[in-house]
Amino acid sequence: MKKLLALLLAVLMIAGTCVAFSSCKKGDETIKIGLSGPLTGGAAVYGLGVANAAQMAVDEINAKGGINGIKLELKVMDDANDATKIANNYAALVDWGMQLSLGCVTTQPALEFKALSKTDNIFFMTPSASADAVRAESNGYQMCFADKKQGVAAANYVNGLGLTKIGVFYQSDIDYSQGIFTEFKANLNDTITVVEASFTNQTKSDFTQQVSTLKDCEFIFMPIYYAEAALFMTQAKSETGIKTYYGCDGLDGLESELDLSTIPQAITMLTHFKSDAANAKTFVANYTAKYGTDTLNQFGASAYDCIYAIVGALEAAIKAGKTVDASTSAADMCKILKEQIDGGYTYSGAVTGTGEVKWTTDGFVNKEALVHVLKEASN
Amino acid sequence: MNRIVSFFKKPFLRNYANYMVIVLVALVFAVLSLTGSLKMGTQFLLEQIAIAALLAVSLSMVVGFLGELSLGHAGFMCAGAYLGGKLAAAMTASSGDQSSIVTLLVACLAGGCIAAALGFVIGLPALRLRGDYLAIVTLAFGEIVRNVVMNLPMDWFGGTLGLETPRFDRKYLFVLALVMVLLCLAVTQNLIRSKHGRAIISIKDNEIAARAMGIDITKYKLFVFTVSAFFAGVAGVLYSYTVSRVQSATFDYNYSIEILVMVVLGGMGSINGSLIAAALITFINTKLQTVLTGNLAVLQNVFYALILITIVIYKNAPGLKGFREKYNLKNLMAKLSKKPSEEEVPHE
Amino acid sequence: MEFLSALLNGFSSGGTYAIIAIGYTMVYGIAKMLNFAHGDIIMVGGYAMFVALVFNQPLVALAFAILACMLLGITVERLAYKPLRGASSLAVLITAIGVSSLLQSLAQIIFGAAPKMPTQFMINGAITLGTFRINYSTLVTLAVTVVIMTALTVFVKYTKTGRAMVAVSEDRGAAQLMGINTNRIIAITFAIGSALAAVAAYLMLMKAPTLSSTLGAMPGIKAFTAAVIGGIGSIPGAMLGGVLLGVIESLALSVPQLAPFTDAIEFAVLIVILLVKPAGLLGKARREKV
Repeated sequence: MKKLLALLLAVLMIAGTCVAFSSCKKGDETIKIGLSGPLTGGAAVYGLGVANAAQMAVDEINAKGGINGIKLELKVMDDANDATKIANNYAALVDWGMQLSLGCVTTQPALEFKALSKTDNIFFMTPSASADAVRAESNGYQMCFADKKQGVAAANYVNGLGLTKIGVFYQSDIDYSQGIFTEFKANLNDTITVVEASFTNQTKSDFTQQVSTLKDCEFIFMPIYYAEAALFMTQAKSETGIKTYYGCDGLDGLESELDLSTIPQAITMLTHFKSDAANAKTFVANYTAKYGTDTLNQFGASAYDCIYAIVGALEAAIKAGKTVDASTSAADMCKILKEQIDGGYTYSGAVTGTGEVKWTTDGFVNKEALVHVLKEASN
Repeated sequence: MNRIVSFFKKPFLRNYANYMVIVLVALVFAVLSLTGSLKMGTQFLLEQIAIAALLAVSLSMVVGFLGELSLGHAGFMCAGAYLGGKLAAAMTASSGDQSSIVTLLVACLAGGCIAAALGFVIGLPALRLRGDYLAIVTLAFGEIVRNVVMNLPMDWFGGTLGLETPRFDRKYLFVLALVMVLLCLAVTQNLIRSKHGRAIISIKDNEIAARAMGIDITKYKLFVFTVSAFFAGVAGVLYSYTVSRVQSATFDYNYSIEILVMVVLGGMGSINGSLIAAALITFINTKLQTVLTGNLAVLQNVFYALILITIVIYKNAPGLKGFREKYNLKNLMAKLSKKPSEEEVPHE
Repeated sequence: MEFLSALLNGFSSGGTYAIIAIGYTMVYGIAKMLNFAHGDIIMVGGYAMFVALVFNQPLVALAFAILACMLLGITVERLAYKPLRGASSLAVLITAIGVSSLLQSLAQIIFGAAPKMPTQFMINGAITLGTFRINYSTLVTLAVTVVIMTALTVFVKYTKTGRAMVAVSEDRGAAQLMGINTNRIIAITFAIGSALAAVAAYLMLMKAPTLSSTLGAMPGIKAFTAAVIGGIGSIPGAMLGGVLLGVIESLALSVPQLAPFTDAIEFAVLIVILLVKPAGLLGKARREKV
């Protein structure tokens, strides 16, 4: 009996809260931008970089008067890099009144976000979820390079070096690393021997074994994120057999983790963000002043670009006679943005890439990548 | 109030109250959903609660009634989600209907059966191992399943990207999920209240005595593991219908532990307790996740952990027995139901 | 050659697992609880050392971390586990999970999400025999592990407190009747286990200087596995289990095709061992009395 009452109470409580939450009314005067990323857990540093940089861009734009006098508002949900949390985050953002979004920070949650936003036709431009499957023809764009493109570009670069043997160090249980590596291998010259070493989320705190597998490879390709790369490089400091590290945009942020002058090997990366590039200087200075260097990385820079690119597209649309304000529905917003971007909108002033940014109609970014020499060999 | 209370005290109603509550919830929300006045978040929440309830009730058979500690429930769910999801994807591809109920039922059956077969296999070591040794074997099993599934060739189960599965119409997926909960409840409750159920409970209380009484321990242990895994598999298939991709990282041991937390908080050997705890924990987690955003997100786990520790200590600490007897839900309810009844007296 | 070097690397990581597993096994033997927060004590130890780097002395930092971890271990036991003594062991399991999650969140709040890389603890260099190399860090790890195992075995066998520990783990009620202060013994066990976690943190940072809030989670589970392989409650067993696990891990990682399956292989070995020896390699099978 008592249990029954408790059960009833629980049900009533849940129903009550649902009703209470559903009766929240929107109607403020801002354009609402949603975002979901890992703010806690192992990938938090990427999510925080994006959240901070996006907020910074929003604040800057608002300080200048917003879009046509309408302020922007950003809401960041935490998904802990866990795709199962996306449904709730997405629903909460929609209930909040999200009109457009930056999607997700990491690939696996982003795939879920894409599926949901596709049904509701909500625009997203992800700063950093790079799997080819993330963008969507109807409503989703990427600011980062897709994995496939990075894999092909990296293979072309390595093919041109004239090596006979290279090492590859990758993470087997995340799509970013697997995706680039698969594409890389498919495009690599057959004459090059590949020595592989890999790790998973469970084995990422010590690379002694992987270092000893790869210690005789002069050139090591590492399509992984910077935290693990930093650890590998530190552990392999005294390996004189290794001469060069080469990575993709995941390596960005290495300087925040590691004093590069302590690494004897040369480090090169293929990226769209270079913290000492002329176009990135102001961003880097402002970001560092506000949030320090801990979370400064290409994820954030890319998010900063996303906000400015979207705002630019919206302003262009307004110029072309479209109405964009706080009451524009998400679906209309998506239509307006899609028309602009697919109609040849060019975003200039990006802190990532080397110049103008455009998109293909199926959502891939089109900008110049940089081969960025982080440091020369010092021995 | 008194009349209502005595109405519910009838044995028939007492035994089937939980079914009625679930049916009521399903009906009310189904009507809301079909008229379009239900928020998306609530639909998702109900789906998640139904899946959590399936998992908690099925795990409570092993932990609460059989008395074996299992930390691999997510592994069974994983098997169900991947294989049932694969079947559902194939069937959907040929029929083109994302929300076919027939496909869903077939996939649930298939996913459940595969998980049940695995449950049988994991039940075998359970015959030899005891307590925490079994716990680590089940944990190991769960991790093996998800590790292997992820590393199979891309075109089997989607590798690191995950397996693409059909997404059922969210307007009434939760209703179907609640129906599955009812089914699971019917099986569990009838089993526990039968002669077999008493045999299972006797194994928990004293295995040697049970054996001496002529109870076939092998049979019952395997049976419970199999049935429990079956429903975990069904929960997996339903889960695959709530997402666009099934990803193996979801089913790590932390997920198994979360299910275990529901069972323990609900009270060992209480099916209704598991149901309530599943609903409550899912609800709390969702609210923490959606309320604490941005810079506050890091507090989610702090709150969750504090809530967990407080509840467990309050409910279980021997030193708090007196306190517990003085301030608890039952007394509170009694007080609440007393007051109006006293006022009712003059009217009658 | 590849095989030999993988074997040696395995001994090195296995030694670290062994030390964590010894702590695990002792706490389990006495408190009869799966301490899921044990791994996070390692993480706290790592951060404690990171903080104590202001003294610029790695060994001072280690001492500080050991003290901090002991204090933390005793506090956690007092606040989260002791109130539940006498309650179901599952209830304690749940509070342990709560404590684990709490420690991880607090670490992120205090130290931020970006991993720290305190390279000051690193020991570089190796002894070279032809093409064959043994890292100094491997030797240090193995030496520390053997010393700790021997010291603890002696401690448990020959000191009064040690024997009291055995008594409490065999039968807490009877031990209490014999005049043993069980609360004190349990607190001491937690202190020792936590101190070992700090040592493990040092050994981990010595090879791989990375520090994040989730640092201890996986080694915690691995050590739990190692303790079970060796037989829960047995100190030499924990050592054996840890080394075995480390070696399997390194060997699997050294073969590219097997590397992604490393976890599955480790856990499969565990299952096979338990099927053959249900009480672990060195655990005593206890006959249930009627």
